[in-house]
Amino acid sequence: MPKKILIVDDSSTMRKIVTRSLRQAGWEDCEIVEASDGQEALNLLATTSVDLILSDINMPNMDGIEFLRQKANLPAIKDIPVIMITTEAVADTVEKVKELGAKGSIKKPFTPDQIKETLGPLF
Amino acid sequence: MDLHDNIITNTKDVFSSMLGMEVTPQEPVAAGMTHLKSISGIIGLAGSVKGMLAVHAPEKTALAITSGFLGMAVEEINEDVQDAIGELANMLAGGVKLTLTENSSEIKLSVPSVIFGDTYNVSAPAKAMAFIIPFTIEGGLFYVEFHLIKEGLGK
Repeated sequence: MPKKILIVDDSSTMRKIVTRSLRQAGWEDCEIVEASDGQEALNLLATTSVDLILSDINMPNMDGIEFLRQKANLPAIKDIPVIMITTEAVADTVEKVKELGAKGSIKKPFTPDQIKETLGPLF
Repeated sequence: MDLHDNIITNTKDVFSSMLGMEVTPQEPVAAGMTHLKSISGIIGLAGSVKGMLAVHAPEKTALAITSGFLGMAVEEINEDVQDAIGELANMLAGGVKLTLTENSSEIKLSVPSVIFGDTYNVSAPAKAMAFIIPFTIEGGLFYVEFHLIKEGLGK
C-alpha cells in the first residue's frame, strides 16, 4: 500500500520541490497531501490519516514548533512521525524539535539523496 | 569564513542542489542600486544581529530560476515566481544565520516579503554594513544584497 505523506510548508514552490524529491528518491507511488502552515496541517489531520509528516519550521500563522507542541497533545495523531525540513537547522533548533518529538531534520537546500537517507529508515 | 564567502558558498549550494544550475559570482557592488523590471525576495533578521537579506532578479532571470525550481517552463511573472524568489531568499538567509550564530534563539528570520515593479530602489540604514553580490546563471544575472547592523559595526 502506498505511503501517504503530508508536506507542511508555506512555500508552494518548496512543497513541489519536496514532492519531486520524494519521487526522485524512489517513492513514486506515495500519495502527497499538503498544508501551508501548522494550523492547516492540524485541521487536515483531524479528517485525514497519513503515514509521515514533512514540515517546515518558519511559517506564518502557526509555525513548525507550535505544530509539534499541539500534535504531541492529540492522541489520535501524536505517534505519526515528523521530519522537519528547514533553513533553521541550527543546533539548538534541531535539539528542540527532537525534544518535541520530531524524528529528524533535513536542512534546506537538500538533494533527493539526503531525503532518501533520512526517510529511508522510516519506510 | 566571512559573510561574502558564506553568501557565495550558500548561493552556489542552493543552485546546484535544488536547481541543478551553476552560478558564477561577480565582484561585490555597493548597496543602493536601482532595479528595473525586477522581483525581489526579502528576509528580515532580528535579535542579536539585525539586518536583511534580499534576492533581486530581473524578470527574465526570475523566470529561469522559477522554471529550475519547479522543473517546468514558467513564462510569466505570477504567484509561483513570487513564491520561488521568496523561498530562495529564505534559504540564503538560513545559511547566513548558521554562519552568524550557533544558537537559533539569538537571531530570528522573518517570513519572506516579495516586491516587484518597473523601477525601485532598496535603501540600507545609515549604520548598516551593506553590500550586493551579483551572480550570473545561464538565464541571466541576479543579485544578493545583505545589510547587517550589529553593535560596534557601522558606527
